[in-house]
Amino acid sequence: MKPFDIVIVGGGGAGLYAAMEAMKTNPALNIAVLSKVYPNRSHTSAAQGGANAALANKAKDDSVEMHIFDTIKGSDYLADQDAVDVLCSEAPKIIRELENIGTPWSRMEDNTIAQRPFGGAGRPRCCYCADKTGHTILQTLYEQCLKTGVLFFNEYFALNLSVHGSRSRGLIAMNMKTGKVEAFPAKTVIFATGGYAKMYWNRSSNAAGNTGDGQAIAYRAGIPMKDMEFVQFHPTGLRKSGLLVTEGARGEGGYLINKDGERFMARYAKEKMELGPRDLVSRSIETEILEGRGFDSPAGKYIHLDLRHLGADLIKSRLPQIREMSLNFEGVDPIEEPIPIRPTAHYSMGGIDTDNFGRTVMEGVYAAGECACVSVHGANRLGGNSLLDILVFGRIAGHTAAEEAGKFEPGSISEEELRESVEEIRTRMQPSGHYERYGALREELGQTLALNVGIFRESSLLHKGIQDIAELKERFKKVRVFDSSDVFNTNLQQVLELKNMLDLAETVAVGALAREESRGSHTRIDFPVRDDEKWHKHTLATLVDGKAIPGEKPVTMGRYELQERTY
Amino acid sequence: MKRYAYYMSCINESMTKEVDRSIDFWQKDLGLEFVKLHEGTCCGGSNLDYVSPKHFALVNARNIALAEKMGLDLIVSCNTCLMTIRTAKKKLDETPALKKEVNDILKKEGLEYRGTSEVRHLLWVLVDDVGLDTIKAKVTVPLKNYRIAPFYGCHILRPSTVLGRDNPLAPSSLDQLIEALGGQTIPFEHKNRCCGFHTLLVAEEESLNVAAEALEEAINSKADFIVTPCPLCHTVLDGYQSKALKQAHIDSSIPVFHISEMVGLALGYTAKQLGIKRHIVC
Amino acid sequence: MTEIIDQHQEGKRDVTFRVFRFNPQVDSKPYFDDYTISAERGITVLRSLNYIKEHVDATLSFRAFCQAGICGSCGMRVNGISKLACTSQVWDELDKCREPGIIRVEPLRSLPMIKDLIVDMDPLVDKMTRYSNWIDSTMPLADMGKKEFLISEEEFQRYDKATDCILCASCVSECSILRANKEYVSPAVLLKSYRMNVDSRDGIHDLRLAELVKDHGVWDCTHCYRCQESCVKSIPIMEAIHAIREDALESRGPRDTSGAKHAEAFMEDIEKKGKLVEATLPIRTNGVVWTLRNLLPMAMKMIVKRRTPPPPPLVKSAKGIKVFRAMFREMTEHVKQDHLKSHKK
Repeated sequence: MKPFDIVIVGGGGAGLYAAMEAMKTNPALNIAVLSKVYPNRSHTSAAQGGANAALANKAKDDSVEMHIFDTIKGSDYLADQDAVDVLCSEAPKIIRELENIGTPWSRMEDNTIAQRPFGGAGRPRCCYCADKTGHTILQTLYEQCLKTGVLFFNEYFALNLSVHGSRSRGLIAMNMKTGKVEAFPAKTVIFATGGYAKMYWNRSSNAAGNTGDGQAIAYRAGIPMKDMEFVQFHPTGLRKSGLLVTEGARGEGGYLINKDGERFMARYAKEKMELGPRDLVSRSIETEILEGRGFDSPAGKYIHLDLRHLGADLIKSRLPQIREMSLNFEGVDPIEEPIPIRPTAHYSMGGIDTDNFGRTVMEGVYAAGECACVSVHGANRLGGNSLLDILVFGRIAGHTAAEEAGKFEPGSISEEELRESVEEIRTRMQPSGHYERYGALREELGQTLALNVGIFRESSLLHKGIQDIAELKERFKKVRVFDSSDVFNTNLQQVLELKNMLDLAETVAVGALAREESRGSHTRIDFPVRDDEKWHKHTLATLVDGKAIPGEKPVTMGRYELQERTY
Repeated sequence: MKRYAYYMSCINESMTKEVDRSIDFWQKDLGLEFVKLHEGTCCGGSNLDYVSPKHFALVNARNIALAEKMGLDLIVSCNTCLMTIRTAKKKLDETPALKKEVNDILKKEGLEYRGTSEVRHLLWVLVDDVGLDTIKAKVTVPLKNYRIAPFYGCHILRPSTVLGRDNPLAPSSLDQLIEALGGQTIPFEHKNRCCGFHTLLVAEEESLNVAAEALEEAINSKADFIVTPCPLCHTVLDGYQSKALKQAHIDSSIPVFHISEMVGLALGYTAKQLGIKRHIVC
Repeated sequence: MTEIIDQHQEGKRDVTFRVFRFNPQVDSKPYFDDYTISAERGITVLRSLNYIKEHVDATLSFRAFCQAGICGSCGMRVNGISKLACTSQVWDELDKCREPGIIRVEPLRSLPMIKDLIVDMDPLVDKMTRYSNWIDSTMPLADMGKKEFLISEEEFQRYDKATDCILCASCVSECSILRANKEYVSPAVLLKSYRMNVDSRDGIHDLRLAELVKDHGVWDCTHCYRCQESCVKSIPIMEAIHAIREDALESRGPRDTSGAKHAEAFMEDIEKKGKLVEATLPIRTNGVVWTLRNLLPMAMKMIVKRRTPPPPPLVKSAKGIKVFRAMFREMTEHVKQDHLKSHKK
């Protein structure tokens, strides 16, 4: 295949913006987008809330500066302040650009883009399209990429980076339709494969494919991961699927009830009750469950979100989507029964370590979006900043790669390297004595992570988690692929995804053990307070001889001094 | 005697005259009286609604208002007329401004659309008003030993927000009528599919493919005949049958009846009386 | 205080999934495999398929991604109806089985088969490209990202529902015309085309419309409403299709295509007679030559059976046609006024 100037791995918001911007920066470039799903399926579509930008359409006194401060404070001061500067300054431009090319933003009475208040934001600056913001942004970007003629390789599963010394020569990927392993020699590669929170499996709200493929590939190629221990939990995920029940349910007056029939939030947040901040509600629910006041079921322990007292009329008129979700995914009608819920992992703050231009430590390799860690979210992401992150930094990574591609020699990938990738896959298909099922391992990984590397963390739990992950990795060697066909082998794909999750899970657990403090989403029972003296820094995890070696990196400060984070 | 205003569909006055003729034979037998609306006009055939939404509203408000003036429900025996008039009714009932605009014009003829008359299909009258038990009791020549493929067509089912009588995925009213008349319904995948009528003149090949699929299933299931509540479906399935089957390389044929004819046969009228001889495939 | 419900005492039901299988590498033709599992209340079809894949047969192949009804990956036919497996409850499906206790699972129709429940989506993407399913922005390049278009609530409402589409292809699978001809534009692409054409930010409305009125385009829809009825997001797709036609008649005139002529004939006849003049409809739609070539043999048969529609002079006008005509024309005046008003805007 003719060498590419840019190969973008991932067709979500970050990948598509990168492609669009790279085409704009230099239309002569040969650019490809590889995606393991059709781009319009990407998980960006699941983001309901919106994207923050200080347009000041709603609150006339809003400013980029206020957005910056809210983001830094929200991050528990772990975000790099120069990166947050970029994020927030670019925000209005990005939102308007999307508007200019067709995103159907909801509108205010004066016909400008509508904005609504969102958690942790001092002004109403979240731009939205009803409850389908991510979906419409993704559609817009995909449409524009089709318009520009971006070359798509849909349903290609990325396997490895081809590395030569200090730089990459391109990517190796499997064409799912044919099973063929193909070389994508490229001057530059951009990873935009989304987050890794699906490693918590059915304790995660993420799509089945959010398995951290890009991070795992980069990690195996020696690129460091940053702040991997920071995983955000949402308090109300459905018991069976982990899917989110949005805050609206509690906003309208829903109760959280334990198995003793008690509205237990009275013990944790006497005034705000169910409407306390997300992390507090998550921790409260988890405490109830850990202390034996949860309900039991084959799908695990849970508590009730009870809406029945609100009445059928209100539920039907104000919470129709929540009712539909509950009916579709749990088989429960909230008019008649409480909804079984428990906290669910839904966003990963950590990722591939990049600078403000999307560059990684490896020449010619870039990363953007939830896949990357710039870092703009630090220890805790604000609502409305995740979509913004993928758009702003997807665009920047596309632009940077397009500018820099000329610096690099066109890579080439040898037949031998391809054969190695094929061999690695083939060995899994050989039947040999005792074997392990990938499904069981996947579930066990989710369980141990939720239990030991979950909302509450503590030294002995984390040791247990690390040990479990090591054992799972050992057992993984015996996982067998039963489907021997070349055409669309989803059995093989899922096994390879599990491998990616196992590799990354170790970095999450190791980072969580190293960080002896509580900050943002990371709560250590044994170190309950933020320790700026020792831990106001990023953690790194680099793969050396098959082990995650911890490292660290300073936080870039700016105008804002460290302060206690209170709301 | 149950009285209804009867809407005269254009096609039943030209190509499928046997529909109204059959009804005239048996309406009294079942205690029904259909008062024909000679002042009624073409409903727009699921085309006028986009050619000119306002004319569409006016024309059908008037059709319904004629029935309302007599204090009767409006009965339709063509699926597309049914869907079209009901769509207009829904629009008028949901849009007070449109209703007012239309009524201001209708005043000229001393008419007013109020929304008091229901618009219903002949099939529904038979199953819901006459009732299956009464029909059973009136049958003199049960359709015993006949295997019948019920072809509902589209516009008696969809859009379900406008029609709503049958489950569009698993309709049953026609099956029930067939069984009440002593016939045997066969499982028929195509029962709720399309006949292709509305693109006959614009995309003939596609239309005939659509029709051929349904015909083929009925033929392969060894049905004795197909029955349909819609004269448009009948026109394709009967009138265009040989052309459709030829295009699909199928060398066979199958008769297609209107429900009004099927009822007539079971109540003892002859094929000749009912006009069945006028079908292309007999 | 809330009473306590012990929810894990949920019942279980044995369910057989009869799943369409086809692996082009080894199978000469498709077949069905039966998998019987025990499913508790609340379990979706997709979760059942996941369970079968993990515990019973790892070769069973299907797409699934978000598992939450938003990505559109798991479109398939469950008990004969195209829908998302992830939002379909097994216990609900049990009520819809043709054979008791057996849920049939098949791939979407009208798209090329790849393997088992997986079909090729490329034809749909190709059509989105052919019909320019994107906004070609009228914002000058220099102003991109600097200015907002001002969009009224009224305009937003025109395409709000249409932008719910997740391209799951259920409508594609259910479409009557697409089954008959794979070249047909398809409902999802018509919906998206409509959404672009009513967006004031777009600059290629005329170009897109010109493509839509060509063969296999908007006039080929047969109004069967199957697309709309199967839409997993309850989008009124037929309204969008009708709106494109309305637009085509207005922007390109009633003599533009056979579809337009056919539609316009209804307007003419109703005004003139209050009744449709079917006899001349083919000629008015497609001209004399087409009519003679295509319909003559059939016309002969119909004459024999006395089924021919009466020639125009013999079509009786509806009773009271004069008053009707006056009212019809009055409405024509209203429509003219509306147009003037909207153009002024």
